[in-house]
Amino acid sequence: MVCLIMLSIYACSKKDNSEPVDLNPSFDRKALLTNLADNIIIPSYAGFKIKLDLMVSKCDAFTAAPTVTSLADFRTAWVDAYKEWQKIEMIDVGPSQAQTIRSFFNIYPTNVEAINANIANGTINFDLPVTYSQQGFPALDYLINGLAGSDADIVAFYTTASDAAKRIAYLKKLTAQMNVIFNKVYTPWTTGYRDEFIRKSGTDASSSLAVLLNGYILNYERYVRSGKIGIPSGIMGSTLITPSPEKIEAYYKKDLSKDLALIAQQAVLDFYRGKAFNSSTTGPSIKSYFAALNTKDNNGKLLADVLDEQFVKALAKLNDLSPYFMQQIQTDRTKMTITFDEMQLAVRYMKLDMTSAMGIVITYTDNDGD
Amino acid sequence: MALSLRQYFMKQSSSAPLAVFRIAFGLMLCISILRFWLNNWIEELYIKPHIFFSYYGFDWIKPIGTSTYLLFFICGLSALLVAMGWKYRISIITLFLSFTYIELMDKTTYLNHYYFVSLTCLVMIFLPANVCFSADAWKNREILADKVPAWTVDILKLLLATVYIYAGLAKLNSDWLLNAMPLKFWLPTKNDLPVIGPLLSTAWIPYVFSWFGAAYDLTIVFFLSYRKTRLFAYVTVIVFHGLTALLFQIGMFPYVMIVATLIFFSADFHQKLINKIGKMLKLGHSFTAPNKSFNYTPATNRVILTIFSVLIVVQLLVPFRYLLYPGELFWTEEGYRFSWRVMLMEKNGYATFYVHDSASDKKVIVNNYEFLTPLQEKMMSTQTDMILQYAHFLKNHYVALGFKNPKVFADVFVTLNGRKNAQFIDPHVDLATQEDSFKHKNWILPFNDTIKGF
Repeated sequence: MVCLIMLSIYACSKKDNSEPVDLNPSFDRKALLTNLADNIIIPSYAGFKIKLDLMVSKCDAFTAAPTVTSLADFRTAWVDAYKEWQKIEMIDVGPSQAQTIRSFFNIYPTNVEAINANIANGTINFDLPVTYSQQGFPALDYLINGLAGSDADIVAFYTTASDAAKRIAYLKKLTAQMNVIFNKVYTPWTTGYRDEFIRKSGTDASSSLAVLLNGYILNYERYVRSGKIGIPSGIMGSTLITPSPEKIEAYYKKDLSKDLALIAQQAVLDFYRGKAFNSSTTGPSIKSYFAALNTKDNNGKLLADVLDEQFVKALAKLNDLSPYFMQQIQTDRTKMTITFDEMQLAVRYMKLDMTSAMGIVITYTDNDGD
Repeated sequence: MALSLRQYFMKQSSSAPLAVFRIAFGLMLCISILRFWLNNWIEELYIKPHIFFSYYGFDWIKPIGTSTYLLFFICGLSALLVAMGWKYRISIITLFLSFTYIELMDKTTYLNHYYFVSLTCLVMIFLPANVCFSADAWKNREILADKVPAWTVDILKLLLATVYIYAGLAKLNSDWLLNAMPLKFWLPTKNDLPVIGPLLSTAWIPYVFSWFGAAYDLTIVFFLSYRKTRLFAYVTVIVFHGLTALLFQIGMFPYVMIVATLIFFSADFHQKLINKIGKMLKLGHSFTAPNKSFNYTPATNRVILTIFSVLIVVQLLVPFRYLLYPGELFWTEEGYRFSWRVMLMEKNGYATFYVHDSASDKKVIVNNYEFLTPLQEKMMSTQTDMILQYAHFLKNHYVALGFKNPKVFADVFVTLNGRKNAQFIDPHVDLATQEDSFKHKNWILPFNDTIKGF
């Protein structure tokens, strides 16, 4: 009976209804993880450490002697570190995930009211979640770019203002906190977590690849697509008054928002291609793994290539935007929408095609299925 | 026939299998609850989420905030009491109610094996599972009995048989048998396992697993029922469920099935087991072998048999309700739950919701993560009833934000068993105006392929 049913199914079924799936048995996920750890993640962190250290020392120099020049130096170092940050924000696995490093470094819009209250009170516990929007790069953005219209006036807040000493103390605490948190992430990567990262080479929910990709996709969806484009331009969100320009990244620096978005998008693409941080060589990558799984679109094109092209398209649309997103939103919001749409498509390829092909579950709850 | 049926219902058999089942099942559930707790899933699944997806007709079952911990405590405790057989009737009713309440709070976490647990608890409420080797019988020797109506043991076998056989029938489809999907996807993801790892990325092993899995599900209860093949069958049970535990993330289910299938073993086997434990605990021979029969009063007998008959008929019919709906079951999932369709699909969705303000003709794209947990978003993106519930939630939410008569549209794309993603529902239908019901949702777009079979 059972055999009959099976036979009849076999008989009446067309050949090949679905996409052919050839799973490349020889893809070595350990080699992939090794390349990601040794050539991308750890060097990116090392690169960021240099910029962060420099920023902290420039902050020290500024707070020791606040002048227009030391402010300009500090600002330059802040810009450099902020740009470098864009390359590591997508790494959300192991110690990076455990420390929730993004929460301490880049939650914007920053809470100006709370920052001013903190300065007045002189006490702040930066470990409390409620203070996430009162620290990191966005808080620095306000404190070195947003206090006044001219640099001389900003410097005055650190020299002649009655609460200048308190503001200086806050600034120092801010950068010290960034240093502490970053080292909590970086040190384990260089002392032992790397091996654990490579060892967990399966694709179950707790494997390195699953956690890494979950974080990578989440970062792109929430913090690149929505955070940098969708929310500030009012494409997404909760209000009818469409644009919310105060939600732009680096709002007070003004001309930095596009640069940051471009760097973030380029970093996402480079990571996908497995491009080494310090050179143009590429190794085993998310893309090559995806390609090895051989899933194709309706035109017979590898979806691994389709996604690559989609990232490139998003990059091109981003390039078209004005350096200051505020201007772009006010003059021609449709260009933001076009960029958003390209990014949206990339999210779909990642969330649907890529993770399905890799057998990776998109969820952060390590729950049972059946 | 009528006579033999009557004879069957008069037949008595050993009460030992019921006792062993009660103990094993209760302990397994207690461990499951503990594991759930320790994994912090109570917080993640039942406290953290902003919204919950209730079952159609059960929206009066609400999440209860931090009291959920109390609910889990009660559930775990009653499972332990069931295992001990202490205040059995109250314990099993409490277990059934608390467990079922938990499951009904959010369909995001629907699992067939939770449904199986609820059903088993329901059945056990009516069984004399405490007449043998229980705390109740220890305190009150009056109720002690070593014989019970044979059908009280057989109903549990029947329950297990429906699970296996329907799970097997569900595998008789072209994706599973001819394309070895979704195993062809899932197995290679474990190819770094020692020893069997390299095998898992071969082209043929998914077919072996698929066909073996289907054959296993369809036939295992018969091999377990027949004395000569039983031991061999049970070894297969252990290997099969052991493998699924190793390869897939399915929690306690394999272990529950490994102990539950012990029910198919002979009365002798169970009696020996009980004697052994009894000896270890120094409970005395008169407790483990009382030489007495348990019988329901004729009236109770009739009531229980009626309830069970209805239950069985419902069990046999419910998995086929999908035939009442047009379209491909795997695609629409109309009639998919409560049918023992396990591990059949690798289905992934991506849903983008748009809310239009009718007054200003403006639209916003919804940030799903503002409202849903990642697990909820994942589940919602492929299941139409959840899409609809979410759309209604959005409508109310945006009304509260000042939108006038908002319309809710959704771009949903779904991949099923390795097919390229395709649009899942009609993006031009205002979901805010659609109501959920048992009727077919005509805004589901057709599946552009066929899957033959059950």
